Amino acid sequence: MLSKSQARLFFIVGTIFFSGVFLWLTVDTIRQVPNQTRAANITPAVDRGKKIWEANNCMGCHTIFGEGAYYAPELTKVVERRGEVWLKTFLKDPEAMYPGERKMTNYHFSDNQINDVIAFLKWAGEVDLNGFPAKPTLSATTASAPVSNLDLLKGAPSTFSQLCTACHSVGGKGGNVGPALDGVASRMSAEEMTKRIKDPMSVKPDSKMPKLGLSDGDISQLVAFLQTLK
Amino acid sequence: MKYASQKVAFWFFATCMLLFTLQLIYGFIMGFAHMGFDVLHDLIPFNTARAVHTNLLVVWLLTGFMGAAHYIIPDEVQRELYSVKLAYIQLGSLVVVGVVALIGFHVNWWEGRKFLEIPRPLDYLVVVNVLTFLFNIGMTVFKANRASTTSIVLYTGLVAAALLYLPGMIYFENQTMDSYFRWWVVHLWVEGVWELIMGGILAYLLIKLTGVDREVIEKWLYIIVGLTFLSGILGTGHHYYYIGAPKYWLWVGGIFSALEPLAFLGMALFAITMYRRSGREHPNKLALMWTMGCAIMSFVGAGFLGFAHTLPQVNLYTHGTLVTAMHGHLAFWGAYAMIVLAIINYSMPLMTGRKNYGSMTGNLAFWLSNIGMLGMTGAFAVAGIAQVYLERKMGMDFLQVQREVEPHFLGLVLAASLFTVGIALYIFDFTKFGFPSDEALGVSEDTTVVV
Repeated sequence: MLSKSQARLFFIVGTIFFSGVFLWLTVDTIRQVPNQTRAANITPAVDRGKKIWEANNCMGCHTIFGEGAYYAPELTKVVERRGEVWLKTFLKDPEAMYPGERKMTNYHFSDNQINDVIAFLKWAGEVDLNGFPAKPTLSATTASAPVSNLDLLKGAPSTFSQLCTACHSVGGKGGNVGPALDGVASRMSAEEMTKRIKDPMSVKPDSKMPKLGLSDGDISQLVAFLQTLK
Repeated sequence: MKYASQKVAFWFFATCMLLFTLQLIYGFIMGFAHMGFDVLHDLIPFNTARAVHTNLLVVWLLTGFMGAAHYIIPDEVQRELYSVKLAYIQLGSLVVVGVVALIGFHVNWWEGRKFLEIPRPLDYLVVVNVLTFLFNIGMTVFKANRASTTSIVLYTGLVAAALLYLPGMIYFENQTMDSYFRWWVVHLWVEGVWELIMGGILAYLLIKLTGVDREVIEKWLYIIVGLTFLSGILGTGHHYYYIGAPKYWLWVGGIFSALEPLAFLGMALFAITMYRRSGREHPNKLALMWTMGCAIMSFVGAGFLGFAHTLPQVNLYTHGTLVTAMHGHLAFWGAYAMIVLAIINYSMPLMTGRKNYGSMTGNLAFWLSNIGMLGMTGAFAVAGIAQVYLERKMGMDFLQVQREVEPHFLGLVLAASLFTVGIALYIFDFTKFGFPSDEALGVSEDTTVVV
């Protein structure tokens, strides 16, 4: 059996050896990370976004690269999943998008700050994470499919394909929070649509649909598109 | 108690009790928020509650380690503490920095990096504070000129913990590098040098409680901390799988993480073997329960449950889900909270002179808190596994999945209530001892030799 001095030697030699290996792998990691993370794409906007991310402890609810808390969604691929239009609208007033659901603090970001945060998240989405997050292997539902899949709606404005489809579906593609919009034009006049999009609760007081604060131009473009869904 | 200066440990332990209580309150805020009752959102949003909950844990454990060092080191090196005054100043300033940080978390002042949320200016104060502590303990050892293995291991652990705090303070604009060095602090603390501290305290308690020869216990202490570093240093790799670091970490992290339970298994077997070899009966049965409980629960929580999701193939799906919370709760409880509660239970009768061994409340505190914590771990496990399958395997929307797992958080809150009753009883027992007294100096431990 080992003596005490042999045991001490095992501790000291083992610790020095494995610390050495760890430092060597760290040097190699530092060498490889810029390439793997596309560090060349870290613009000043990305860095500003990271600082906003840290200053508000976003990791205290969300995860990025799977790291953080488990109270709010993983945001690594959020730009791919939701699109910039959705993110901008959401960050302006987070609770409006999900009334009555889990709350997010409204940080009253300026447009520039929102752009910086999105730049940071967009960069994060392009980092090679060795396969994380994994593609669902059991069954694909439409709820978290990337927005790019919904582009089959020819001629749809981006407000529709990124914002509306988060809750509504057309042709089976999109979210299932709100009713499907197939044939909506035959159920609703352009006037009523405009009114509903502007202030959903003015038409239906118990509506779960958020008041998105879209511009009049965006709304008329949306209504024109929705009128084609007969 | 042999030296009057050991009494300062009491104030560290009393601070622990206070911070631990606060930690539980913020835990409940999060538990209810997960159930859908985030009624305090406007005052204490989830990220505030979480930063407070985890930072309080770290601070009360560190305070406990410091208290343990103030009690153990004078006894081991057979000398009064270098400066009692410095110890009080250090504890006082630690509490002030801690309170300022906690208030900061409520007004959006922090550095939002998981576990290292303390704002940067306060980081420097923490460093100064810890250096003061190390100076005081170091001078005690130096002046005594007589260091035991147990005291060396404990002190090395404390110095290494202080050094490893520094890499977490470097700024990187690349999130991957930021994360890489953040784990130098977090992982190398809890799966490295903290285990050295835990091993040191455990060895001290075993020497005192079982009466087994110091040479035997300290030999095994070296082997176990050797195993800890052998597996734990490269085991850091399990945090590097999916953060943008090279792919070889999947191999390195996977293999060495699989070895990590061995160190904890060694710790558990070590404690059990020494207990069975015990040549004397120590009257403080509760301290022995906490010591043995710590050795066993740390294997279950840190070793076994850690291994349950460090394999890269499994971690690909469980990374960043409630499964991590499942492992985290039992690991910190078993390995670190229980060792601090064990040394408190051991030292209180000796510091106060009140031979309150194995009271009914003390026994209930042990069982209720442990059963409660196992229940919480179970609730997190069910919620976590459901989340992994629904969200990661089937691709359901995050919030939809969270609604599905809400009922398990009712289970969590119920188990947490049981746990809280246990801790409340522990604190009640703690207050029954009263304050430390010089009258306790030189009082023997009343051990009886078993034939």
